[in-house]
Amino acid sequence: MTEHICQYSGDRGQAIVSYLYADEGGFDAVERTAFAAHVTTCEGCRAELAAFEGVRTMLGQWSPPRLRSETHSVGSGFRSAGALAEAKGGPHDGFSWREIPAWAQVAAAMLCLGVGAGIANLNVRYDANGLQVRTGWSTAVPVPVAQVSQPVAEASQDAAPWRAEMTALEQRLRTDLRQTPAQGGNLANAATAANPAIATVNSETLRRVRALVDESERRQQTELALRLAEAVRETNAQRQADLVRIDRNIGAMQNNTGREMLRQRNEMLNYVSIRTAAQRP
Amino acid sequence: MTSTDEELVARSIGGDADSFNQLILRWERPIYALAYRTIGREEDARDVCQETFLRAFRALPGFRGQAKFSSWLYRIALNLCRDWIRRERRTGFVQPPEDVDLIDFIAAAEPSESIEDLVARKDQMRVVERAMARLPEDQRTAIVLKEYHGLTFQEIADLLGCPLSTVKTRLYQGLSVLRRELAKTAETL
Repeated sequence: MTEHICQYSGDRGQAIVSYLYADEGGFDAVERTAFAAHVTTCEGCRAELAAFEGVRTMLGQWSPPRLRSETHSVGSGFRSAGALAEAKGGPHDGFSWREIPAWAQVAAAMLCLGVGAGIANLNVRYDANGLQVRTGWSTAVPVPVAQVSQPVAEASQDAAPWRAEMTALEQRLRTDLRQTPAQGGNLANAATAANPAIATVNSETLRRVRALVDESERRQQTELALRLAEAVRETNAQRQADLVRIDRNIGAMQNNTGREMLRQRNEMLNYVSIRTAAQRP
Repeated sequence: MTSTDEELVARSIGGDADSFNQLILRWERPIYALAYRTIGREEDARDVCQETFLRAFRALPGFRGQAKFSSWLYRIALNLCRDWIRRERRTGFVQPPEDVDLIDFIAAAEPSESIEDLVARKDQMRVVERAMARLPEDQRTAIVLKEYHGLTFQEIADLLGCPLSTVKTRLYQGLSVLRRELAKTAETL
């Protein structure tokens, strides 16, 4: 077999790339015509061009994963240009607390604190047994006074000057805790009424959460479908492998059986020939 | 009527925030795709994309229109990708974990596509990704800019700051490596 040697006089690689992409900057008209003529006669160049076309087809199948923001709307992953201007100092997230006024943040913090304390059933007590802070919904196990150790008792007596202050604090905390839900609601309403931007932020947040939930559900469904398909594929592959193994085993068994039959036949022939020889006078 | 990039840039420099938002909408996807195909990691590609627009916004007053806005953006993104590669001391392309790839791939599925087709396409994509990962950074960048962004040889040369002939050589070498790698993968399947 003779090996074909390309006779193209110029830089073959560059010419192939220019021809492949038909880029105006790659060839001038004369070069293009010359190379086109060369390709018709050169088997090597034709084969390489065809191979590169195949590579390009394969490359066309590679697409990057979607931008998360594209599931809502293109570009929503970025903050607005105005927000970018505010963030000139450094890295940024999709949402900034700096966009919310300080008083609204304080109100939100208080609301969180109140709700958290309510859920935790915060109970602060300062009595003869000293300061007790208890959380949770289980009832406290009464501790007999006799079991209270001497140092603690001494400590509570030492803390006596603080008692009035602690009682006042307890009262205030209790009052705050009782009032917090209503107060939180009032604050939120007041905030919304005072600044419509808060309402916009809330509805925007709600919209984002809904979109995220929808996206998450959709992803889960498609992921499940794909997992199922992969499981089916794996099962099929496993089944094929099992069939091959079974086939091989059956073959081996047949071989063994054949060998055993052959052995028995030989034994029988030996036996017959021995008996025949023995009976011969 | 749709405004050109240059018109939007001019308005953005004049303080019109909406114009810059339109530029983001227009170029977000190509810049993200460029970053993803260069560094191969979705999260980092998103960061690079976002940082590209942030830098562009900061540098916008200094943009005099010597180059096309898109070329200018591409250059920022490529510089950021290069920084990322240097910082991470990686070859510039990391295979995404299988499970992440799976979900993200699903998200890109065509509604009419069957699951079997989807699985087959995913396999093909992995093959191409692996082959691309074998390329040196300069060849990969040239191929990404030519194949996926349709830039001319001259535009790539300007962007990468190298002669036009170097771009063509990188493309030829890159395609040759890909051809070899893809053939090798086909043999093992």
